[in-house]
Amino acid sequence: MVMHSTRTDATVLIIDDEPEIRHVVRSALRSTVARVIDAVDGHTGLAAVRAQTPDLIVLDLGLPDQSGLDLCRSIRAYSLAPIVVLTARHIESDKVALLNAGADDYVTKPFSTSEFAARVAAQIRRARTARPGTSGVVETDGVSIDFTSRIATRDSRPIRLTPIEWAILRALTGDPGRVYTHQQLFDAVWAREFGDARQYLRVHITNLRRKIERDPTHPHVIITEPGAGYRFGIPMAQESA
Amino acid sequence: MAQLRSSAAKSVALWYGLLILATVIMYLARDRQESQAHVVLVYLLIVLGGSVSGGRPLGFTLAAASTILVSYYFQAPFDEFSLSKPVDAIVLSAFMATAATTTYLLVRAQEEAAEARARAEEIQRLSAEASHAAALREAARFKDILLASVSHDLRTPLTSIKALAQDAADSGDANSVIIVAQTERLSKMVAHLLDMSRVNAGAYPMSLEVNTVEDLAGAVVTEMMGANAADRVHVTIDYSAPALVGMFDFVETIRILTNLIDNALLYSPDSETVELSASRVGDWLQLDVADRGPGVPKDDVERIFEPFYRHAATSGTAPGTGLGLAIARSLAKAQGGTIEYAPRKGGGSVFTLRLPAVEDPGFQLDE
Repeated sequence: MVMHSTRTDATVLIIDDEPEIRHVVRSALRSTVARVIDAVDGHTGLAAVRAQTPDLIVLDLGLPDQSGLDLCRSIRAYSLAPIVVLTARHIESDKVALLNAGADDYVTKPFSTSEFAARVAAQIRRARTARPGTSGVVETDGVSIDFTSRIATRDSRPIRLTPIEWAILRALTGDPGRVYTHQQLFDAVWAREFGDARQYLRVHITNLRRKIERDPTHPHVIITEPGAGYRFGIPMAQESA
Repeated sequence: MAQLRSSAAKSVALWYGLLILATVIMYLARDRQESQAHVVLVYLLIVLGGSVSGGRPLGFTLAAASTILVSYYFQAPFDEFSLSKPVDAIVLSAFMATAATTTYLLVRAQEEAAEARARAEEIQRLSAEASHAAALREAARFKDILLASVSHDLRTPLTSIKALAQDAADSGDANSVIIVAQTERLSKMVAHLLDMSRVNAGAYPMSLEVNTVEDLAGAVVTEMMGANAADRVHVTIDYSAPALVGMFDFVETIRILTNLIDNALLYSPDSETVELSASRVGDWLQLDVADRGPGVPKDDVERIFEPFYRHAATSGTAPGTGLGLAIARSLAKAQGGTIEYAPRKGGGSVFTLRLPAVEDPGFQLDE
């Protein structure tokens, strides 16, 4: 994965009880962020969140003093900074719980340092990017979506979208780069409607991809997070801004 | 059975023996008796005893025999059947009714007692089963915690080793390139061993949902990108046809396909790509993973799905774990699917994963 990781002035807090992992994280981020501070357990981690107001928090789930889920929730009470979780479990069933507890992304051990750095950079960028709002125009990877005039184009050619596809795009672009769980998308698109319609979310996403992606099996606009949900690709054009 | 019969025969012999003995004694004392009451009570006792130990058949036959004996020997005129006084008839029928009723009631009470005992035993058995199930659940939960902790303990050091070796490899250290590759191999082994133990634990939970093959294939390609193998995987899907929709567990099916593709890449020459294609066949989604490897000898076709099977020609050299196909097949089975092997035309193998299909709901046009 090629990422142009421009160094930011961000401060990253790493909460991990293993000194080796703290070292690895520190060295992986040295060319991405300005400052890395660390905490060895949940208690001191939470204190650091309040005192240092980091721009991003890297949290290891295997802390000795408290569960990662609880810590995520506690951090969210004080800070809106993105939380990237390090997990050793390769069971995806925990992902939704983590996302619901306020985590923004997760990396499974053993991770590649370049991929980890790219994810951290993406989350910092996401947190600093102004939300497009419901009236704005979202552009990414040759796709332009104008919610006001309800016009979508792929490489300047118009695309016809169904009302459900508009609703899915509107939900996902609310916070590009953020993972929306299946449940969150069900709720956003079908509101209080129950029954058969919801189970076809993935079919709608597949049809939508055929219209907006260059290659539907190498998606760049709507990205699948297995076992968790979907996220909208962060508009690269805005990165340098 | 034989024991039951012999104990029934014993009680028949015992109570008929007593009946005869009592009859003989009362016969000898017949002239001194003033009323039939003593006789009737003695017979009644014998009938009750017989009922208790021999059940209904013995009770009723003893009652009938006693009635005949009372009438013949102990009601005047003696030693003949004749009801000379109305009171004799009343005594006889009262005796018969009492004997029959008590026999019936006694046996019923006994049967009910037996039934209650059986029910109590059944309840005891069920509660034992329930506590066994609870113990199993507890064991499964414990196993889950253990796996999580083993997983954490094994992966954490692998993370540091891989990251530090990657750093050194990036600055041109050739040895570190090998360390990175071997760490990746070790990580895969850890993952496979954990998968295998999860699958072996049985009752593997699957979250079956409506999913599409395109979404799945995209996620598989992304996964292969992480392993730097995406350019060797070629996906063929007909985008002009309606989406292929099935009922399957998305995450576990990614695992099945990455295992099949890893296996295919392992046995294929580096210059060859692995083909992933999908189609709908009847009620099934069919996903084919085709390679240009050496194929599988006929005798080994079923064995390749056994844990730790290695191709004879490559054993010891191929860096697989020998678990990929076994895990893939178990995960397919757990969601109502199958995996079969077939030789590929022109050389190589085709592994076919079949999963239950779902009708395309037809959302292509504006609703």
